[in-house]
Amino acid sequence: MNAGDRIRVERGGVTNEGVLMPSTTADHLVVKLDGGYNVGIEREDAEIDVLETDVYDVGETQSDEGESSEIEFDDDLPTISLISTGGTIASTVDYRTGAVTAQFDAEDVLRAVPDLAGRANYRGRVVANILSENMTPDVWRDLAQAVYEEIDAGADGVVVMHGTDTMQFSASALSFMLDTPVPIVFTGSQRSADRPSSDNVMNAVCAVEAAKSDAAEVMVCMHGTESDDVCALHRGTRVRKNHTSRRDAFETVGAKPLGEVDYDAEEVTFRRDHAERGAVELDLAADIDGEVELVKFTPGMDPAALDYLDGKSGVVIEGTGLGHVHTDLIPRVEELVDDGTTVVMTSQCISGRVCDRVYDTGRDLLDAGVVEAGDTLPGTAKVKLMWALSNLGDPADAMGRNLVGELQEESKPWT
Amino acid sequence: MTEYDYEELGLVAGLEIHQQLDTATKLFCDSPTVRREPEEATRTFTRYLHPTRSELGEIDDAALEESRVDREFEYLAYDTTCLVEEDDEPPAKLDAEALDVVMQISELMEMSVVDQAHVMRKIVVDGSNTSGFQRSSLIAQDGEIQTSEGAVGIEDLMLEEESAQRIEERDDGVLYSLDRLGIPLVEIGTKPDISSPEQAREAAETIGMLLRSTGKVKRGLGTIRQDVNVSIADGARVEMKGVQSLDDIDDIVRNEVGRQVELLAIRDELQQRDAHVGEPQDVTDVFADSDSGVIRGALDSGGKVTGVRLAGFDGLVGRELQPDRRLGTELSDHAKRHGAGGIFHTDELPAYGVTEEEVDALREAVGAEPEDAVAIVAADSQTADLAIDAAAVRAEAAIEGVPEETRGANDDGTTRYLRPLPGAARMYPETDVPPVEPDPSEVEVPELLTEKVERYQSEFGLDAGLAEQVAYGRRMPLFERAVDDGADPTFVAGLVESTVTELRRDDVPVENLDDEQLLAVVALVTDGDLAKEGVNEVLALLAENPQLSAEEAVEEAGLSGVSEDEVRDAVVEVVERNESQVENEGMAAFSGLMGEAMGALRGRADGEIVSSVLREEIQKRA
Repeated sequence: MNAGDRIRVERGGVTNEGVLMPSTTADHLVVKLDGGYNVGIEREDAEIDVLETDVYDVGETQSDEGESSEIEFDDDLPTISLISTGGTIASTVDYRTGAVTAQFDAEDVLRAVPDLAGRANYRGRVVANILSENMTPDVWRDLAQAVYEEIDAGADGVVVMHGTDTMQFSASALSFMLDTPVPIVFTGSQRSADRPSSDNVMNAVCAVEAAKSDAAEVMVCMHGTESDDVCALHRGTRVRKNHTSRRDAFETVGAKPLGEVDYDAEEVTFRRDHAERGAVELDLAADIDGEVELVKFTPGMDPAALDYLDGKSGVVIEGTGLGHVHTDLIPRVEELVDDGTTVVMTSQCISGRVCDRVYDTGRDLLDAGVVEAGDTLPGTAKVKLMWALSNLGDPADAMGRNLVGELQEESKPWT
Repeated sequence: MTEYDYEELGLVAGLEIHQQLDTATKLFCDSPTVRREPEEATRTFTRYLHPTRSELGEIDDAALEESRVDREFEYLAYDTTCLVEEDDEPPAKLDAEALDVVMQISELMEMSVVDQAHVMRKIVVDGSNTSGFQRSSLIAQDGEIQTSEGAVGIEDLMLEEESAQRIEERDDGVLYSLDRLGIPLVEIGTKPDISSPEQAREAAETIGMLLRSTGKVKRGLGTIRQDVNVSIADGARVEMKGVQSLDDIDDIVRNEVGRQVELLAIRDELQQRDAHVGEPQDVTDVFADSDSGVIRGALDSGGKVTGVRLAGFDGLVGRELQPDRRLGTELSDHAKRHGAGGIFHTDELPAYGVTEEEVDALREAVGAEPEDAVAIVAADSQTADLAIDAAAVRAEAAIEGVPEETRGANDDGTTRYLRPLPGAARMYPETDVPPVEPDPSEVEVPELLTEKVERYQSEFGLDAGLAEQVAYGRRMPLFERAVDDGADPTFVAGLVESTVTELRRDDVPVENLDDEQLLAVVALVTDGDLAKEGVNEVLALLAENPQLSAEEAVEEAGLSGVSEDEVRDAVVEVVERNESQVENEGMAAFSGLMGEAMGALRGRADGEIVSSVLREEIQKRA
């Protein structure tokens, strides 16, 4: 008896007929009845007859069907490269585990989101097939390399489909690694693609529109509100996932989003200056130092928590308020700096700039050699430090300066 | 209405009953199950839905047809709804209270509860569920209820979430209210054991009684909905949705049988005439100068007119299937599904401003012979194409007979086309909610309403009419709680069935009185802190001022703190004032003086106490 077989089960005087589902466990048979309902039946004392084998190929998805995925080329349309890394936007239900997993490649996304058709010529590419919590700096490097190759091969824009959990880290990494003459747009979905209400369709459509625009920036394109009306375009280094489940979870910190895509009007507008298409030569600097930690200070923190930082190339501290840690920890921080670790201060306030000149604790931290990262987001600061350590002569100096829009020189959150 | 020989026609009918449960929270979140007015909405948002494939790789016909119309859905949210209703947060676990209630219902219908219940997603892309699916779980199977025409099997019982309330139909979408979305809903499906319209109605009544016996179901308009499945031999299974009133069920069954009988007659006629349906085409030219309001309106706003030749259909499109509903109405219903206002057909033309010359030109344009009919649609270009296609497909189906479909109940006992029958493909597992293993062994089987009626008479001495009123009434649970707390059953029965009605008649806003307030008032009476005679006044005050507690209302009405001494003082005063009458008439003066004494106490004292004190005082003097 296998998943996909049609069976008849008799137990406790009730007879059920249906297709055996792969979610069956050692204790329970899961049967899809003819009405469509799944029901769990205890195996114990159950009488089972296999009526017909392989009625359904339940494990397969439509990606294996013979539908042609040939995509016609239209000279009048720009070419957009779709790069998949996995995540909710390209996911479907895994009927073995019952969980939502990524199974599609970029062409499947085209099939899954027919609304993309006619907007561009598409090139599809799969860099990874992982949930974004499993993302690593190695994959950032592969992703940057793939994006570089796609642009080099003539793509007029790149859309990266990415899980939302760590999208802001990958977007930051590509912001530092690439000089890009075309838009690089990250998108994903907060509500899985297997539901009719998924935000994947609108996010993907808006991301393609943004990738056709003139902003040669690394951006994140996700719902701007809870409605299916507008996607916000966030600068990759200034964006943060601020909600676990809402569609409009992503927000630009310390400013309004860089721009918007109106879903109905298919119109891309920008609020502030942005790098223009074609302004820079394509270049890649994908080296990255993996020996960097992000440490959040909280009251009662065991000073031993800093011990494992010995020997790291860099440490980003997510301090309290203007950028503080408990006074007793400052000598440990000083030791790290003296041993050659670049120690950078950010704030767990999320919004606002660190300033360690206001209170004694801050001044002591500066004396200990800590570098202030301005209003750089803690996660972005980690990625920046990883990149700066491998690519710049004076990483500590770079952490206090703006490189690619990650550090706002002026605090004007209303703009 | 024609009476048919249902046995000869091979009538097979089944029921699907949907009943909202009166639980504290919704099925998959902690929002309360309260209904709101649209004006109370605190925020709104809009969404689109896109059909997806089921785990078996199929797209449901109903979902596909729904999605052909690109519609925008707007939702009203309240301070009593949360992100789960907005599909912006994963659902919580299945509500334990709701599961308990449906297991009670299962026991009442002698059903077997499943070993493991799996929550499924039933794809619904009409916007009534923000997620694009309704969560539903099979909880019990294989039961039975009794009717006077024999037993009716119960196929299955599902626990599911109620959909959002449709508030407004718009050109390009629908406005929904989220207050109803997620209220637990039990769905009970009978086996197709029903063989007459009367039996259908009786079965629905019995199921309704069993549901209400739990004391945990919502009451009032729209809280229970009946779907009826009907087929006759040679006909087809047709599912009729949303019958609001039990009284309509037999009519709905009769009318559907009539419709299928007529459709079969039309089929025979069409086949005899070798009927077929032509290719839809653009016939705008015919109507370029038309004075018909509908056509003019469409053309002036840049639309067009499409038409289709229905070869061999002449006279049959206008044939009546149900009171005032023709085959043409069915074609129209299909066209409407695609956004058109409806169709015109040659059986009803010339009319609606369409002239005889235009009809002739139309016939010529599509090559129609005299035995043919022509149907047309006037609308914007895309709608006109989709709608005429839909009407043509329905006309073709008429040649085959009765199409399987889902229909909606109209108020007059007729039905209209809604959508194709949903298939099994519309379901896939709700992976956000783990399966549950229900345990029916702990469930208390509720007393049936019919049993309650008996008990209220034998145990509490209520008369048969009042006992039935209370047992079937909306405040039955309140009655039982009050009596459990030691209140006088006759008094409480009168309170919940008569007093409240009287107050409503006097324009007291009794809807403001909640169960807890009523119970508090009853408790004051039971404890002797409030005379029964003062209850109306206290309730009226509470209804006007719901923020008051029952004690405060009693105080405010000046009905508190009447001791027996005060009663005696008041009675003595009355007796002394009428001393000569008492001396002359003795106890015969009682009834007159009783009224005076009660008046003096202004309802603050219990009549029984006043009466016994008065008796004593008269006896002393007589």
